Amino acid sequence: MVTGMLRWRVAALLLTIVFVASVENLKPTPRQSVSAEIQIALPLFAQVAVTLGDRNLAANIAYIRALVVVPDKMLPEEFAILGKVQKDVSWLNPAHEDNYYTAFAILPNYGEVDAAQTILARASRTRFYDYQPSFFYAFNLYFLKHDPAAAAEWLQKAAEKLTDDDQRLIMQNIAARWVDRAEDLNLAIQVVEAMAKQARRKDFRSYLETRARRLQMLQQLRAADAKFREKTGRTPVRLEELVISGLLPALPQDPFGFGFEFDKRGIIMLRTSPPKL
Amino acid sequence: MWWPFSLSAWRAGLRSRGVQGVLILGVVLMGAAYLSALFSPRQPRTVSLDVGLSGLRVSLILFALFWVQELVGREIERRSVLFALTYPIPRSHYLLGRYFGVLGLVALASLLLGLLLWVVVLFTGTHYDQAFPVALGLPFWSTVFGLWVDAAVVAAFALWVSTFSTVPMLPLALGLAFAVGGKSLGAVAEYLARGADGDFELMRFAPVINAVQWLLPDLSRLDWRAWPMYGLAPDGKAMVLGLVMAASYAALLLVLAVISFSRREFQ
Repeated sequence: MVTGMLRWRVAALLLTIVFVASVENLKPTPRQSVSAEIQIALPLFAQVAVTLGDRNLAANIAYIRALVVVPDKMLPEEFAILGKVQKDVSWLNPAHEDNYYTAFAILPNYGEVDAAQTILARASRTRFYDYQPSFFYAFNLYFLKHDPAAAAEWLQKAAEKLTDDDQRLIMQNIAARWVDRAEDLNLAIQVVEAMAKQARRKDFRSYLETRARRLQMLQQLRAADAKFREKTGRTPVRLEELVISGLLPALPQDPFGFGFEFDKRGIIMLRTSPPKL
Repeated sequence: MWWPFSLSAWRAGLRSRGVQGVLILGVVLMGAAYLSALFSPRQPRTVSLDVGLSGLRVSLILFALFWVQELVGREIERRSVLFALTYPIPRSHYLLGRYFGVLGLVALASLLLGLLLWVVVLFTGTHYDQAFPVALGLPFWSTVFGLWVDAAVVAAFALWVSTFSTVPMLPLALGLAFAVGGKSLGAVAEYLARGADGDFELMRFAPVINAVQWLLPDLSRLDWRAWPMYGLAPDGKAMVLGLVMAASYAALLLVLAVISFSRREFQ
C-alpha cells in the first residue's frame, strides 16, 4: 500500500520536473511567426462547418478577419490570402455590402485586382438594385486593366441601376467618353451604337449617335494614315497631308468641333478639348 | 387524446432550469448581434440582423434538441415513460403529443427571441443612415418562421433517435450533427453545382452529395434571410417546395419514430 502511494508520488514529481523543464525551455524558443495579420485561409467547407452550417455567419466571421488587418503591416504574400478570404466571403454571401466595398478599396492597390473583380462581379449580380459594384468593376477595368470598351459596358450596367434620371445620364455619358479611348475602334463603335439603341431619351440617343459617327470618322482617318505610311514609308506630320496625297477627299468635320490630332506615339486620336486658335 | 401530453410538455418545458440557460444563451447571442454591427462600416443594421438570425437559429436548434431530450429521451431513460404508457391509449399519442408540445415551445422561443432581435436591430446603427435599409416587416417574420420549421425538422429527427437510443445524450449529439449536416448541405451542393472552382478532385464527390440529398434534407432551403437583409425575395416556388420537403421529411421521421417506439420493449 505504502509502496503504491510512493509510486504515484514519484510519478507526480517526475511529471512536474518534465513539465517545468519543458516550459522553461519553450520560453526562449522563437515562435513560428509574430505577424498577427492574416496568414491562413480555411477551406470553405471548414468555415461552413465551424459555424454549424450557417454560411452567412461564416461570411461575417471571415469578413471581420479581413476587416481587422492593417494593410501597412502586411507582407505581399499575405495579400493573396486576404484576397482569398474576401473571395470566400463573397462566395458565402455575395450580397455582403461591406465586403465588396473594402475589397475595392484595398485589394487592387496590392496586386489583387482579379480577386477584387470576382467579388465585385458577384456583388453586382446579386445586388440588382445597387449601382456601386458594377461602377467599381468598370473603374478597375478602365484604370487598372486598361480595357475602356469593357469598362464602358460595365459602366452602362451601373447606370441602368441608378434611379435618378440625371445621374443615369451623366454616367452613360462617361461610359460613352470612355469608349473613345478604346484601341479597337470597331468594338468601340459597336458599343456606342448599342448604347444609343438602348437610350430612353431621344436627345441623348442622338448625342450617342453623333459620338458613334465621330468614332467612324476617326476610323476613316486611321485607315488613310495606314495607307499613307504604306505608300510613302513615312509618318504624316499633319492631318492635311492625307488630303493632299489624295487618300481622303476632305478632312472629316468633328460634329463636336474638337477635331482630331496625333498623340505622342503618332496615332490619330480624338481631341478632348477644342483646338487653340 | 395526444394533447394532454403536449400540455404536460409545456408545463415541464417552461419550468425546466435548462430552458432558462438556453434563453440566456439566446439573449447573449442577441447582444453579440448588437456588437457585431460595430464591425460594419456601411451596413450595421444588416450585419446585426444577419448575426442575430444566425444566433436565433443556433438557439432554436438547441432549444428543440434540449426539449426532446428532456421530455422524451430522459423519460425513456428513467423509465418514467411507463407511467404515461399505462393509460389506455396508443403509444403514438404520447409521442405526437410530446412532439407538438416541443413545437409549441420552440414557437414561443422563436417569437420571444425574434422580438428581441427586432428591437436590437431597431436600436443598432441609429447614428448611420444605411443606403439600403433592412426590411423588418413580413420578410423578417417569414425568415423567423423558416428557422422555426428548420428547428421542427431537427426536433423530429432527435425524437426518432430517442425512440431507439439506449445511450443517454445520443439524440442530442446526433440531432446536432443532423442540424449541421443539413444546413451545410446547401452550401456544398451549390459549390459543386458551380464546378467547385475548377477543383476536379472535389468534383468526384458531386454524385455522392446528390445521393446524400435523398437521405438528408437541405435545411438551408429554409433560410430566407436575404429577403429582410437585402430585399432579395425568395422564389415562391422554392419557398413552397422547401416547406413541403421539410414537412414531409419531418412527418416521415415521426412515422418512423412511432413504429420504433411501438415495438420497443421496456423492462
